[in-house]
Amino acid sequence: MFIPCYVDLVYPEVGVSVVRVLRRLGVEVTYPEGQTCCGQPAFNSGFFEEARTVARHFLDVFESEECDYVVCPSGSCATMASHYYPLVFEGLAGERARSEALGARVREFSDFLVNVLGVRELGARHAGKAVFHCGCHQRRELGVLEEPRELLRDVEGLDLLEWRNEELCCGFGGTFSVKMPDVSTAMADEKIRALEESGADTLISGDSSCLMHLEGRLQRTGPATRVYHLAQILDTEDGEVV
Amino acid sequence: METGKPARSRDTLDRRHEGIESKVEGFNDRARRALEDEFLHESVARFTKKSVASRQAALERLPEAPELRETAYRIKQETMANLDRYLEQLAGAVEERGGKVFFASDGEEVVNYVGELARRRGSKVVTKSKSMATEEIELNRRLEESYGELGLEIIETDLGEWIAQLAGDHPSHIVAPIVHMNRHQIADVLSGVAGEALPPNVEDLLQFARKRLREKFLAADIGITGVNFGVAETGTICTVTNEGNGRLVSSVPPVHVAVMGIEKVIPKLEDLSVFTRILGRSSTGQDLSVYTNLVTGPRQEGELDGPEEFHLILMDNGRSDLLGTEFEEALYCIRCGACLNVCPVYRQTGGHAYGSTYSGPIGAVITPLLKGNEEAKDLPHASSLCGACTEACPVGIPLHELLLKLRNRQVDEGLAGKGQSVAFKGFENTMKSPALYKISGKVGRMAQKPLVKDGKIGRKLPGPLAGWTGTRDLPALAKKPFRELWREGI
Amino acid sequence: MADRAEFIKDIRSRLQNHRSRGEYRPTHAPDVPWTPSAERRRESPVSGDLPARFLGELEALGGHGRRVASIEEARDYVLSLARERGAELLVRWDEEELEELGVDAPVREAGTEVSVWRDLPDFREVAGSAEIGLTTADWAVAETGSLVVTSGPGHGRSVTLLPPTHVAVVRVEKMLPTVAEAIALYAKNGGLPANVCFHTGPSRSGDIEQALAIGVHGPGDVHVVLVG
Ligand code: SF4
Repeated sequence: MFIPCYVDLVYPEVGVSVVRVLRRLGVEVTYPEGQTCCGQPAFNSGFFEEARTVARHFLDVFESEECDYVVCPSGSCATMASHYYPLVFEGLAGERARSEALGARVREFSDFLVNVLGVRELGARHAGKAVFHCGCHQRRELGVLEEPRELLRDVEGLDLLEWRNEELCCGFGGTFSVKMPDVSTAMADEKIRALEESGADTLISGDSSCLMHLEGRLQRTGPATRVYHLAQILDTEDGEVV
Repeated sequence: METGKPARSRDTLDRRHEGIESKVEGFNDRARRALEDEFLHESVARFTKKSVASRQAALERLPEAPELRETAYRIKQETMANLDRYLEQLAGAVEERGGKVFFASDGEEVVNYVGELARRRGSKVVTKSKSMATEEIELNRRLEESYGELGLEIIETDLGEWIAQLAGDHPSHIVAPIVHMNRHQIADVLSGVAGEALPPNVEDLLQFARKRLREKFLAADIGITGVNFGVAETGTICTVTNEGNGRLVSSVPPVHVAVMGIEKVIPKLEDLSVFTRILGRSSTGQDLSVYTNLVTGPRQEGELDGPEEFHLILMDNGRSDLLGTEFEEALYCIRCGACLNVCPVYRQTGGHAYGSTYSGPIGAVITPLLKGNEEAKDLPHASSLCGACTEACPVGIPLHELLLKLRNRQVDEGLAGKGQSVAFKGFENTMKSPALYKISGKVGRMAQKPLVKDGKIGRKLPGPLAGWTGTRDLPALAKKPFRELWREGI
Repeated sequence: MADRAEFIKDIRSRLQNHRSRGEYRPTHAPDVPWTPSAERRRESPVSGDLPARFLGELEALGGHGRRVASIEEARDYVLSLARERGAELLVRWDEEELEELGVDAPVREAGTEVSVWRDLPDFREVAGSAEIGLTTADWAVAETGSLVVTSGPGHGRSVTLLPPTHVAVVRVEKMLPTVAEAIALYAKNGGLPANVCFHTGPSRSGDIEQALAIGVHGPGDVHVVLVG
């Protein structure tokens, strides 16, 4: 299991839910403690060399672990490891091949549940009217768009709503949110307007980074909205997020 | 982080913050202005929404769309790999049909060629149909400046371009040049030309424009068009318009000058059917644009109209620098505008924020490539890298990956700024060492204490996080990271 | 003035440099599916009743089309169009088929002057003042509702372009299923006319506040009569 650095530091409860859901499904979960980050922040800012060092560390850590899959509760970090490492290691044949081999085993959480384990029904229960935001990497690079919805549709009591322009980016974009704060915020505002229109009271995503962005904006201006990672919803006990 | 000595640390941090933002200032400032313009915002949103929907509907009707895209990419790839050969072939074929061909290394040479041609012909009135290549080199302004003595009247004939020209404005979208203007602004501009107040309703404005431009079409001595595709095999240039101005400009005046970026060449006539099938659909959702006009040389024996002279200008202007490099794919662009329409950043800011002839994702890619990284430092960062552009591009240009590579090039060229470089060195060192990573987490948790309230940082911080915290709350680091919880047992 | 040989040489050397150093990139063809629909039909979408498809497409674009059985009916169509538009001048191509159509005399009788595209002292004056342009077409494309008009002696480009009304009389044998097939025919025959243009519906613009404006520069009133 790969728990991205910001989940580790900011949203540990998401990691906990992932573990609990996976264990409930009979998956043997290991957590290599040497892991840190996938390197995406540096990569997205153009610091390929720095990203390469971090990616190398990632390869070292996960290659030495005996596991069939590397499951990650973030579409974006999963994309980094499965799709962008080959670019990071461009021109370095050996490492590129290593990254491709490992990348094939990296799976985003909902992708793993639905497409590897063949799970749909998890017996989760959560009352609320929710919209799902699919992170852009998960949508476009991974093409894992329907899986989280399928899982959510089977959550008892949860009303999964459609919302306008759901394919639009939330405006996070890593350092983009800091370098272009006005545009980034305007993008979040557009999502929040759509959220309001939909009448949802809960916002769910497979990427805590998008949620951090939208929640951060919601707390300043938007309507009171509960914000959860998909894993937290699937891990509900007696209808409550733990 | 802000600590016990606010005065000094705030001072230094603030300056550093400015240092970072100055890299992106041009875009940010222009974007901020755009965000305040309610009409622009609403109009761009409406236009892009409509275009995206029509494009999707058109593609649904085209079952072979994915294969076409792949084919288009391959054709472009093949063309660029042998561009020398195809350019020679194109030039030869045009000349065989009695056309003249001129190779221009840069805008200056284009300006001079057209200027001298106008001088030789004793021309007065020049009509133009929309051409990004001539926008790029500011042909109109430079002709008027360098050839002022000829007293040329140069008129854009695409309705939107004409209005932009009259307003002294620049187009803000490849396909919809004045999507940023409302009818009142347009009425003001046209009233100035009419010499009387025109009512701000679309029909009256159109009637006026049609009449006025019709006079120009008929009076023109030279017609200048852009080129969507130049067919090497036959020496044919293809120009696509919806209003018909491109066809008029190339049919009525006695001289037709076509200005073409060298990357617009395609090998065979049949390749055209690949591109015409995707261009209109991607651009406006039309199965085919209204006028898909193929010109092969000047008028022939026995024809009463069509140009007596046909000139093809093949313009490089920085394009050949990209050949064979990792940025070559940027040359595959067919200027359909789809990437602009789907871009969530363009959607918020419109085209002028990019400060370049080319806006949106392709603008953010091509501008630094053609103008140099220094010039357009901010543009590669004007993207959240969401990939919607790449998904929409009908020729499969990996736009957001090119943006990433451009950011990387800035780093390599030392343009990224000290603050960032130090920060990411630190990031690298921390993230390669689990021990250091753990300690940083601890330090962070301690340092944030004075700032955190209710599990979040709810006010604007100085320093590098100002950009975030100005408009958004920042969640605090958790009391215990996941790794500790894992150790304790879940 | 850039020297052509230099220009080409420069490009060639750039390509060769990269190639010889083995760093010729771009790296990959598109790997993201382009169209959102999961199930794509594979067969060519254009088959069956081509004239009906053509007329439907043209109609949808805001043009007018009619299929008629005989040349007489086609003549009547043009005649009543001239009447309805109250045209003072009709300009037509100098073309065998249009002679056979025999519209000149009846149209003149109805009060509309007819100019034929031959030996005109100033073509601009004629085409620029006519209210109707009458032509044939090389092809009519069912897929898109396009007319393919070509230049040549007697075939003025302006006739299809300057008058606000354009009417084309096209024999039904001239139907083609797709644009690609039309292009393929020109490619096969080689030697393109100086001008070939696909006209797909009336001229349009959305430049002013995205309001659809018809007939901005080219004809806004487009008619196609399919004969046979
Ligand atoms: S980059 Fe692609 S999508 Fe954008 S304008 Fe060019 S061809 Fe169209």
